[in-house]
Amino acid sequence: MPALFFPRRYPPLLRVAAFVLLSIAVAIFSEKHPDLQGWSGNLTYPVHWIDMQVAENWGALHQYLQDRSELLAENAQLREKLKVMEPQLLENAILHNENRQLLALLDSFPQPPGKMAVARVIAENFSPGSQLITVNLGSHNGVQVGQPVLAAGGVAGQVIHVAEFSAQIALVSDLDSSIPAQLAGTNIPLLVNGKGHIHTLSVPFQSRNTPLKTGDHLVTSGLGGRFPPGLPIGTISGVVHNGDEPFAQISVRPSVSLGQLSTVLILLKNLPPLRHGKP
Amino acid sequence: MTIVAMVIAFFLALVLETLPSGPVYGMVHPDFVAMLLLYWSIRSGSELSYTLVWLIGLLQDLVMGDVPGGQAIAGVLMIYALVNGLGRVRHLSVWEQLVFVFMLLLLHRLIVWLWQLWSGPLSWHFSLFLSPLIGALLWPLFTYLLDGLRHYLKTSP
Repeated sequence: MPALFFPRRYPPLLRVAAFVLLSIAVAIFSEKHPDLQGWSGNLTYPVHWIDMQVAENWGALHQYLQDRSELLAENAQLREKLKVMEPQLLENAILHNENRQLLALLDSFPQPPGKMAVARVIAENFSPGSQLITVNLGSHNGVQVGQPVLAAGGVAGQVIHVAEFSAQIALVSDLDSSIPAQLAGTNIPLLVNGKGHIHTLSVPFQSRNTPLKTGDHLVTSGLGGRFPPGLPIGTISGVVHNGDEPFAQISVRPSVSLGQLSTVLILLKNLPPLRHGKP
Repeated sequence: MTIVAMVIAFFLALVLETLPSGPVYGMVHPDFVAMLLLYWSIRSGSELSYTLVWLIGLLQDLVMGDVPGGQAIAGVLMIYALVNGLGRVRHLSVWEQLVFVFMLLLLHRLIVWLWQLWSGPLSWHFSLFLSPLIGALLWPLFTYLLDGLRHYLKTSP
């Protein structure tokens, strides 16, 4: 195997040192040019395409193998559920109407939700710290960096890189993810940060006499303008006051089961471009 | 012919790295690309080109969406450690290699993990050890399958 760039006559340690410097240069360069990382999604699309095919065929096979009786049982269960849900839906419609009337009185109509797109998850990266998924929609479909991503239950994450036919999403559990939030029904501003693990988020900088307690629901506050207000993020699962630490340790269970995402909803609307790579 | 097989093998390894199969798989699956690099280096006899190792790592970084450079430099340092520190691994049996493969995969994993310092704080998790351990336990099967593939490619017309 011939040496490509650095001739063999240099000692190996020197060549390795050169590659360390090269890697650092690449990391700095990619931080300065976040759109380049989005563009590289086009380069790696073949890999993600195969991922998508494997995932789809696996799902189809699984469905095919599922027993008929199992499906019938599931069907009956869903019918029962529908019976319960239908009156609730009617109630919701009444409440919705009432809400509109009240908002009209206050003269503060919320922005109607913009266009949405349903995207399939085609690749995942769940190594410690990173909680990234790749979906099958990209700039071709109007996806932009910074757009919020929802799933059944609430907020799932936001778009961080966009290629032509794919986009990368940092889940709320990603170590670099941070969302402006508030206690449901109040205006107490909070942040909800990812910890790099799928099952817990955290609320930083809360003093030891914080009003937050286990069981409280957290929703997006809409500050910063990236997420629409009022979307569920999670439920507080524990508040620990530790000895002499200045802040309470608050853990939050995300309301979306982040590990089992197969489709997500991207809110397509025009946003000011992000200044940094990862939000 | 072998080059084509290696390209396909690396492509499949990248697919396996990013397969959407849930968080448990995502955390404990072995680093197939790093294992392929080790296999290639141990079997080829001559020193691998660091440039090629680096470029494969960079491609893996782009596929995974991590800060680029982490997998790239981890691959180069892992192969450097293999060639210059553990040169005799090549002559050991597959079962004895298993221990060294674990150490090298762990080294690789820790460097990739440390590289996340670029984007913020680190988060510790036991799967940092689990993934290299599973990779090492799969090593005999891995080499058996790839040896078989190479043998098949050599003998088939």
